[in-house]
Amino acid sequence: MKRFAQFVFAITLVALAASASAHHVLGRPAYSLNEDSNTPPSMQVETQIGNYFVTYMVFPAFPRAGEPGRINLYARNIDNGKPFTGNVTFTARDDTWFDTAKPEKLGVQVIDDNVFRQGFVFKHDGDYIIRAEFHDGGEPYLIDFPLRIGQPSPVGPLTLAGVALFAVLVGGSLFQRKRLQRDRIRAAHRDERSHSTREEGVS
Amino acid sequence: MIMTHPGLPALWGMVVIGGMVILTLWAVITPLPASASAAVYNLTRVPLLRGLVRYLVSSPKILLALKLVFVVLFLLVIYAGLFGSQIPERNLATLLTWNIWWAGLIFSVFFLGTAWCAVCPWDTLAQWLVRRRLWKRAEPNNSLNLRVPRRLRTIWPALLMFIALTWLELGLGITTNPYATAAVSLLMVVMATSSLAIFERKAFCRYFCPVGRTVGFYSQLAPVELRPIDTQTCADCKTLDCYYGDRNTEPCPTWLVMGRLKQNSYCTSCGNCVSSCPNDNVAWRLRSPSVEAVQDARPRHDEAWFMIGLLALTGFHGLSMMPFWETWMSQLARVLHDSGQLLPSFTIGMFGSMAAVVLVYALFVAATRWLMGNGVPFRRLFTHLSFVALPLAFAYHMAHNLNHLVREGVGIGAVFLNPLGTGMAPLSMMEKHARHFHMIISQDSLFAIQAGLMVFGFWIAVQILRHRGRALLVAAGHRGGSWRLAPMLGFVVLMTCFHLWLLSQPMMMRM
Repeated sequence: MKRFAQFVFAITLVALAASASAHHVLGRPAYSLNEDSNTPPSMQVETQIGNYFVTYMVFPAFPRAGEPGRINLYARNIDNGKPFTGNVTFTARDDTWFDTAKPEKLGVQVIDDNVFRQGFVFKHDGDYIIRAEFHDGGEPYLIDFPLRIGQPSPVGPLTLAGVALFAVLVGGSLFQRKRLQRDRIRAAHRDERSHSTREEGVS
Repeated sequence: MIMTHPGLPALWGMVVIGGMVILTLWAVITPLPASASAAVYNLTRVPLLRGLVRYLVSSPKILLALKLVFVVLFLLVIYAGLFGSQIPERNLATLLTWNIWWAGLIFSVFFLGTAWCAVCPWDTLAQWLVRRRLWKRAEPNNSLNLRVPRRLRTIWPALLMFIALTWLELGLGITTNPYATAAVSLLMVVMATSSLAIFERKAFCRYFCPVGRTVGFYSQLAPVELRPIDTQTCADCKTLDCYYGDRNTEPCPTWLVMGRLKQNSYCTSCGNCVSSCPNDNVAWRLRSPSVEAVQDARPRHDEAWFMIGLLALTGFHGLSMMPFWETWMSQLARVLHDSGQLLPSFTIGMFGSMAAVVLVYALFVAATRWLMGNGVPFRRLFTHLSFVALPLAFAYHMAHNLNHLVREGVGIGAVFLNPLGTGMAPLSMMEKHARHFHMIISQDSLFAIQAGLMVFGFWIAVQILRHRGRALLVAAGHRGGSWRLAPMLGFVVLMTCFHLWLLSQPMMMRM
């Protein structure tokens, strides 16, 4: 019984210890605040491309137009764990529909304490795509990640929903009215025909 | 950093396995039963409850008040999602939608059947927008009243919607995105409203709603049902007000005739039949939670796919929250040269996992058919035996969601005080740890309930197999020989063990 209790205790310990090795959901933004340092809340995404595991952090977590921000990018080889040491080029482009503007180069960064640091200041709020580009082994590596500057606009979903509801309700109502009108006219014609048939019968 | 919840300890796992062994032995030893217990208890006959139950189901004001509450909460979710902070754990939209409603909904089915559908804000808003009445019948009803195309009059649209919702939830990650949560909420209202404005009755509820159909199918295992008090009164009824409605009451939204109602799957608990029945012959009753899935529910091929789909998707929910799932996705992404959110890898992983469950089920059905002497067509066996998937999916779904509910539901009070999360910083690691330790119920209670649910699911699945299997054996020309059902019993054991293994793994926290 004592051994059994020890076994159960060991299993529980393993289960609890597993929680210590937790990590981000790949490709999903996570917002974090480190109470042990004076850094502001950050947005962090972990992903991978080819042979590299990539982590990027954005400071502050919710950057605003006109305010400086920073991207920290860290890339390490999945096989040997060594960090990438070449140059990384950062560009930004608008992520709105039908946008034809050319991507703007933010800068080319060299490694600094295993991290590539890229500063930015955006003039306008909006959705942007940041591209981090580097070459390794003769192959290009392109990592695109979305960056929201300012609060997302509620206008898009609300407008789309409003227009869709308006179209359905008004369209349906007009169609219904037309159908009722058509039915009424048909009924009137039917009445008229039966009335005239009766009159002909009488005469 | 995302944390993980500890899995079910080995001790509780062994309790579940012990229960499974006892039940399996019992199922093997005892002869197959002829029929299930059909004992029901009419709630309108309970002396103290009688008046209250009658008032609750016949007064539209109570239902209207509840609908108002849920509509207000729903609109608050949309407002908070669109205008509030985008930190998921600080915004009401994500916390209320995914940690409380989505996780807790399944428990409402366990106790109240399809009651959620009666107060569903998607349908309520659609009803108000199209009918332009708060509760009474609207004539004309402002709908084009077109018939749903024949090809869509199945459960397939709802299954596809459920798969899509799962992809949005687990793949795209709308559970951690308040803005996307609000956008999807709006989309559901638009879809419900469009369907109500175009098609007759409530085609959205009946054919398209992934939540309604999931609730409906799970409620085959609920201990409550809305049924006629006296079946002869229904047989003699000439007006069918339950189906057509009356001057003040809308017709049954999902085309059900009370006199022939045998399963909860499509009932939305709206109470229209209770209000319109001229003989006061419709009432809520208590029953055995398994009787419907065991013998009353009519097997249909599309519904069989839905039930297998539920089993596959619930298992996938658990699988995708395991830390090793990330490793698998990472390895697949490397092969595909995938980057960003790894959506192609996730999609392949998701459909692969679902296909695996369907294939395993089909394999076990084929083995059962072979033992039965190939006397019953494969399609019929596939359809009839699919009911065993329902309790397995339901039990695991509840056990899994309980983790979310009791561990991640903490802090909802604070979020209600600041639903938009204005001025709030993300949860620090210290706060996350604190939440981790302040669960709604104790961890031991959680483990005990999870273990109990697994045994419950196994027990009901075995019951279903014994009852439905007997009918199939008779159809195949065998009088007895329950050993021929051994492969399906193996499937029940296998799936329960798989779910138990998932539960025993550390699970990643949602936010």
